[in-house]
This record gives sequence, structure tokens and C-alpha cells, in this order.
Amino acid sequence: MLVSPLVAFGFGNILMLGWLAAAAAPILIHLWNKRRYREVSWAAIEYLLSAMRKNSRRMRIEQWLLLLVRTLLVALIVLAVAQPFLQQMGLNFVPGQRTLKVLVIDGSYSMGYKPTDKSRFERAKQKAAQIVEESSQGDAFTLILMASPPSVIVGTPAVEPRDFLEEIENLKLLHGGGDLPATLGQVEQVLKAAEHAGLARKEVYFLTDLGRNSWVPDLKEAEADDYRQRVARLSQEALLVVVEIDQTAGDNLAVTTIAASEPFATTTREVGFSAQVRNFGTQPRHHHPVEFHVDGRRIKEAYVDVPAGEQSPISFSHRFDAPGDHFVEVRLGPDLLDIDNHRWLSVPVKDHLRVLCVNGKPAAGALSGAADYVALALNPDAGDARVPSVVEPEIIPESGLLERDLTRYDCIFLCNVAQFTSNEARVLEGVLKRGGGLVFFLGDQVLPDRYNRELAGEQGIRVLPAQLKELVSEAQYHYRFDPLNYGHPLLGPFQGREQSGLLTTPVYKYFRLALMPGSKARVALAFDGGDPAIVEEKIHEGRSILFATEGSLSSIDPATKTPWTTMPTWPSFVPIVQEILALAVRGQMAEHNVQVGQALGESLEAMASRPAVNVTTPSGAHEEVRMTLDAQDSRWSYPDTQHSGMYRVELGAPISRNEDFAVNVDTSESDLTKLPPEELPKEFTAHNRANLDETDSPSISHRSGLHKSLLYCVLGLLFMEVFLAWRFGHATR
Amino acid sequence: MESNLKFLDPQTLAKLQGLELRARSIVEGYVSGVHRSPYHGFSIEFAEHREYTQGDDLRYVDWKVFGKTDKFYLKQYEEETNLVSYMLIDTSESMRYQSADAPLSKLEYAQCIAASLSYLILQQQDSVGLVTFDKEIRSLVRASSNPSHLKQLLHVMENSRPERKTQTGPIFHDLAERLKRRGLVLILSDLFDDVPAMMAGLKHFRHRRHEVVVFHVLDPAELEFPFRQTTLFRGMEGLPDVLTDPRALRRAYLDEFGKFLQAVRKGCRAQHVDYVLLRTDQSLEIALSSYLASRMNRVK
Repeated sequence: MLVSPLVAFGFGNILMLGWLAAAAAPILIHLWNKRRYREVSWAAIEYLLSAMRKNSRRMRIEQWLLLLVRTLLVALIVLAVAQPFLQQMGLNFVPGQRTLKVLVIDGSYSMGYKPTDKSRFERAKQKAAQIVEESSQGDAFTLILMASPPSVIVGTPAVEPRDFLEEIENLKLLHGGGDLPATLGQVEQVLKAAEHAGLARKEVYFLTDLGRNSWVPDLKEAEADDYRQRVARLSQEALLVVVEIDQTAGDNLAVTTIAASEPFATTTREVGFSAQVRNFGTQPRHHHPVEFHVDGRRIKEAYVDVPAGEQSPISFSHRFDAPGDHFVEVRLGPDLLDIDNHRWLSVPVKDHLRVLCVNGKPAAGALSGAADYVALALNPDAGDARVPSVVEPEIIPESGLLERDLTRYDCIFLCNVAQFTSNEARVLEGVLKRGGGLVFFLGDQVLPDRYNRELAGEQGIRVLPAQLKELVSEAQYHYRFDPLNYGHPLLGPFQGREQSGLLTTPVYKYFRLALMPGSKARVALAFDGGDPAIVEEKIHEGRSILFATEGSLSSIDPATKTPWTTMPTWPSFVPIVQEILALAVRGQMAEHNVQVGQALGESLEAMASRPAVNVTTPSGAHEEVRMTLDAQDSRWSYPDTQHSGMYRVELGAPISRNEDFAVNVDTSESDLTKLPPEELPKEFTAHNRANLDETDSPSISHRSGLHKSLLYCVLGLLFMEVFLAWRFGHATR
Repeated sequence: MESNLKFLDPQTLAKLQGLELRARSIVEGYVSGVHRSPYHGFSIEFAEHREYTQGDDLRYVDWKVFGKTDKFYLKQYEEETNLVSYMLIDTSESMRYQSADAPLSKLEYAQCIAASLSYLILQQQDSVGLVTFDKEIRSLVRASSNPSHLKQLLHVMENSRPERKTQTGPIFHDLAERLKRRGLVLILSDLFDDVPAMMAGLKHFRHRRHEVVVFHVLDPAELEFPFRQTTLFRGMEGLPDVLTDPRALRRAYLDEFGKFLQAVRKGCRAQHVDYVLLRTDQSLEIALSSYLASRMNRVK
């Protein structure tokens, strides 16, 4: 529809216009003065008469001029107080037409900033309520919370203000960001749905702190085009008004990260934790208090200095007494935005890590089995009673895989296992779904076709990060590792430690690994010929790591009579196995630490009965979650993590277990930098709060500064009146 | 001296009843104030020389004698009564005007001056006459140097009734013809009349070799026009009333009035007539000084 902009003139306070009658006051005073005079006899009347004759015309003009100025003065004051405004509309506007007002309240957590006794969010709600209360009868309202994702609170235009105000009152601030493009999509849908509601005039109010994070969305080119087009479309359809809540640019301190220095935590040793405190403000912060809590108990207090715009690390360590899920919290001293002053970490603590090593080539002698070296490398201190064992490896034969309850194990090393059945593949997939780790060492027993078929997705189950291809070996030649610039975290500890022998480890034979198309697998270590040596991938919630060659000396090349590799005897073997284990079990901790908006959930082994799943939110509310079942396993999921904090999940019988999940904010929203209203896309009309105090109606947000101009005129007239009165009456030569 | 000087202040005079008492107060106050005897040095006829003593006025040193003898002698004169002064007092209605801030009306002020001067003149054994006039001569008292003459003059003054219009021109012409003996003509008036006609009259006096001093008596309100609120100005001497906002008209009025004053001053200067503007809130010393200065001129 082609529309021509119209300009409408009106008054914010039309009742004040009654005072226009006061403009007659100067005229009345003048007339009254003329009637009220004193009498004197005057001798020099001749000169007075002569002056009168010559000046009567001038005097009359002066008198009229003064009267005009005084009358105008009163009239303009009244007009200014009546708050005149000009409205420019994209739609033909007929007075009395009903208006659809779409109220979009910014729900990003920067709105929790509380410079006064009320947070920005509370003020936005107050403002929204004011818009509703001051609207004309017959106007309809919808309410959208600009969050990530946005939520339409009232989608059908509401004409009953009381219910609508209740909806506004009940709005709660979420702990996520604000997704403007998605919100505009919702606005568009709401406007479209209201097309036939007889509401010809449409206004969209964005009550926001104009945070740059929300208002300058980081979009790809195609998305940016889409966003621009959507804004243009909306501006054609409705008046887009941005009401800036709180113009102060806030300083803010936030805990941006918290992490354990170990990939897994056990009761046998202290675990180090490190966090980063970032200063998003322009003033340095000195001696700001930081507290560390474990399971809600304060264990340490420290102070941190953070320069403006930078971040400072803080760390502490703790030894957990008991196994189970524990939660660690870093808590900053109070500032004006509290939401990002906390950061939690859920730490699954075990007595020790249980690792199952499946031996694909059993042998009678010591260290002759395919899993023996690996088991030794996993727990090199085995047998030394002075050193508590962190890892408890258990070696089983290939046939024992299905007999074991794999949920008891954190990681499973599969060493030179010849092949897997579909059932075994499914069991292994279950391990990954629960966040466990799978590590494959190959060898002469391995049947690559079976691996590819059962484990690499050909039968629908994929637990391998790459497919196995042909064997690679050359006579009289041994391959060496290429660390690929130590780019992968797995090799991080080896950087700068050439004596560990990683680069000199000889490999004589290996399977060529091929990454699958579209796979997210990463090559952690390669051979000098370029073929991958270690490939890892996060599959489901766990991690699968595939080593291209043998993890023991059990595979002997029949041609050369040499083992595939002598790596198990190389000094690099123990650290690389330890690092592989750390990488493989990292998923367990990551699984329990998510960001606001991400769903909580996990896969459970298939069971006959469905356990009850109860979630306790940070606010203390209890919610029951339904399990979903499929052929192989059952899964629960809780998507409503819009608030940061610790969520406790109670899994009922037969599992009977509690799990803690930490939900943290995405601290990009902690940067309170604002978008100056003048940088808004031209389609948005910025409501200049500087001119209006809190009690002003935002419904005049797009009004021009007419009353201000009128007051300037009044000031000018005031000076003019004083000058003219002086010039006409009192000036002497 | 202080107590005498205060009688030159119109505020004090206003409290004194009777013209004679006022005149006496003025003259005695003035004489004491000027530190110089009015009884010396005003006559025409030379009497004798006296040797200079310290404190004598150097103006009366006879420099010719000094040239011949190298000694300082002062000239001393005989007192004479051959000076005739005529007081012409305007008793038209406009002279009755007295603004709120003025202690005396213009007529009262003029009468004070006339009485004082008469007293002073008679004290010096000079002759003084009196004419009161408006559009015609209301009374005419012949000049005399008899001290008892003062009573008659004061009586005439006190009985004058300011009720009619002024017409100075014909009056001055008439008087110029009637006052045969040339002397000092002292005119006390607000001069609210046709200026050219008035000047013609003055010219006639000058033609008759009279020395003329015009005391232009005006009320401070007429000079400053201090009114603020809307006022109905009631015209005197048959002129119409004016209702106006005085603040708006003040500048124009002052312009007009300024032109009138300028015309009078210019006319007087052209006729070699001494012009003295007197405000009724002003000390009478100015009037007396002006008279004495004119008297000195005649002596020379």
C-alpha cells in the first residue's frame, strides 16, 4: 500500500487550553486602567496638548503593540503547557481511529541494571503501563518480550486494559540477551494477525535501554539484508517508536568465565578453579571483593583490581570430600547489575575415574595384551600405595563388552578390537549420549570394513569420528608425528617440550583415516605424510577419539616382524594417553554447564520404567519433566533455562540420583554500551527522554519539541515586553 | 548662620505665615550667609578714599592712586536711592499650580521672592514698585523708597487672586509705556503665554532702557512630569482637559516643554534680558543672587 505521510496537530493536555481565556487579561487590565484615573489640575496643559496632538498615533500603536505582546505572552504560555505536538504518520490518520499499540519490552538482562531504586526493566514496565493507561478508549494492545528467543506474551490485540496491565505487571526479566531481528519477526506476525481487527493505525513501542548488543545485531550479510528489509516493511506498516529507558551509561563488573583446571575432579586431589572478572566500565575498579562458594558455602574471599575495559584472572583450589555433583560459585561484590556478578560451575566429582579397557588381543605375558600399555599409561602409579589412584582402569576381553554396565565407566578404551556387533555399537553410542568418552586404538586385529559398517554410520550408528581406509606402511621407513603447530588442545602440553619424544615416536604401520563429509571431526595429530594420526569429535554429549595405529606392541607386521609402533615404550605415550582421557571425559563436565537458554537434559540407559524427573530451579520452583523414550534409550530435557543459577535435577527410582546443572549468562550482554539514538535506523523514531521527565507520557514520544519552541518564544516576548515598556514609557533622553 | 540660611529653603518658608516674616527671614538669612555687607559698594557717587587694610575687597582698590602713590587706597561711595525697581508678578490662574511635592505654589514662591527683594531694596533706600497682572494689570503700586512702603506692597501681593488667563505681550507693552523712570524690571511669571508676543513686550522694556530680569518660576512637576498612572489633567486658564497615560506621553511632553524653555531663553538672550529659571522646590538664594548681580551691572 502506498501511503503518504500525514502531519497531525494535537495537544497532550487539551484541558489546559481553557486557560487561553487568560490571554484577555492584559486587555481587561488596560480597559480597567483607563477607567481608573486620578485627576490633577495642570498649568502647562498647552504643552501636553501639543504633545498629544503630535504623538497620539504613535501612542496608540505603541499601546496596541504592548497589548499584543502581553496577550501573546499569556496565550503562548498556555499553549506550551498544553503540550502541543505534531505527529507524522505513515498511515492515513483520521481522528478517532482505533490504534493497535504493540509494546515491546526489552528483556535482555542488561535491563536489570538498577541505577535507582527501580531497575530499567521495572521502569520499562511502568512506562508500558503508562502508555496503556493514557491511550484512547478502543485502542488495542499486544505485548512482546524482546528476549533471545523473543516471546509473545499477548499476541491477540487486547482491548481490556486491566487484564493487559496485569500481564505487564507479571513480566519477569530473563537472564539472556535480546534478539532484535527475531523480535521484529514476531512484531511483524502480530501486526499481520491483527490486520482484520479494524485497527487502521499501528504503533510499535520499543521500551529498551538501547544496549548496543541488542540494537546492533551481529548478522551475516544475508541476515542483515533480511533485517533491513523487515525494518523497512514494518516502518511502512506502523510507527516504530524507541523509548529509551535510563540514559545513563552504566559501569559494570562481571564474572565472564569459570573453569576447572582439571578435565575431571576426584576426591583424591585438589582441583584448581580459575575465573575471569571483566570490567565493562570506563573507570578502573580497585579492591573489589570476590567470594568463592562451594555447594553454597563460602570457602574463600579475595579482592580483585580490574582496569577499565580489561579483565583480571582470579583462582582458587578446593578438594572435594565426597563424590557426586558439586557446584562452585564465584560471586562478585555488589554493583548496579547483579545478574552477571555470579557464575556457577557444576563439578561432577568421583572417587576416581573408572576406565574400561577392552583388550582385543589378549595374551598371557605381562604387557603383551593390546590394552596393557594403555592401562598402565592410564594409571602409572598403580601398585604404589602412597599415591592415591586418580584413574582406575579395568581390562576386560572383547567379549565382556556387553556384559558390563557401561554407565559405571567414564571412558572406554577399545584396543585392537577386531569388530563390533550392532548391539555393541548401540551400547557404545549410549556411552557417548551420556557424555562418556570412547577411545579407539587400532591394530592388526581390526577389520576396517566392520568398523566402518557398524561404527561409522553405515548402519545408522556413528561413534567413530572417521572412517578406516587401507593400511599404510613402507618397508624400512617409519613415520613420525606432525603436531600441526600444536593447534589442538590435546597437544597443548607438548608444546615446547620436545624431549617428551612425541615428534620422534616411530610408527611403522597405520590405518589411513578419512574424515566423513560434513563431519565436525578435528585432526589433533597427523603423520608426516599428512594422514591423520588422532581424530576426535564430539558425538552426542560425549567425545570419540580414534588413534590410527596401535596402543601396544601386540600388532606385529608379518613382513618386517616389527610392531606397528613402538610408541607404548616411548616417553610420549603416558602423557598422550592421559591427555586423550582428559579430552574424552571433558564432556561430562560440559554437559552439566550450559548457558541461559540452552536446554538441560541427558540420555539414560533404556529401562523398563520411566523414572520421575523433577527440576528445582534457582528460584526454588519445582517442575516435573517428562521423559521421552525411543527404541534404544530414554531421554529427558528441560528447555526453560531463562534464569541463571543452579538447577537441581532429581531422577527418581530406579535411578535415584541427583544431578546439578549450572546455567550461566552469556556475558556479552554485560557490556552496557548504548547505541546513541541518532544511530538508530532512520525507520525508528527515537523518543528523546532529555526533554521529558519520568511522569511524561511516552505516547507523546514522537511529538515534536513544539512546546519547547513556544517557551523560547515566551522568553523572547518577555524580554520584548520589558524592553518595549521601558522604551515606550520610561526611557528618558 | 545655619539657622538663618534655612530660611532660604522653601520647605521652611512654607511653614512661616505672612509675607513680611518670610521676606525678613530670607533677606537676613541671605545677608548673613554671603558674608558681605549689602550696604556697601552699590551706589554710584564716589565719597572718599580709605587706606587698604587686610581683609578688604581688592575689587575696590583704586589702581590709579596706587599708580601715583604706590599706596593702596580703596574707593568709598555715597549711598544713593536713585535706583528704581519694579516687581511684575504674574497672578494668572496657572501660577496657582502646586504639585504634590512642591512646598509652595508658583505664585507663593514668586511672592516670597518679590517680598524679599522689596525688603532688601527698601533696606538700601532704593525705590521699589509693584505690578500684578494677568490678562490685564490688576494692581499697580508706584515706586517709593519709604520703608513703610513695604507694608503696602505686601498687602497688594497677599490680596492678589489668581483666576484668569495671562496675556503678557500687551501688558508688557502697556507697562513699558507707563513706567517712565527707567530702572530695574523684575518679572516673576511662569511665562505660559505666547512667546513671540511676550518677547515683543520685553523688547519694549529694553527699548525704554529698562534693565529686565525674568524670574521664570516653574513647579518641579512641570519640568519633570513625574506622573505614572492614568491621569485626567484638568486644564487651567480655560484650556481643555486631557486624559492620558502619562508614561507614554512623558517624552513628548518634555520635548514640547523643552522647546518652550529654549524659545524663552533664546528670546531673553536676544533682548539682553537676564533669565533666571526658578523651581519652587529650590532655594531662594538663586533669586536673590540674580537680583544682586543685575544690580551690580547697573552700578557699573
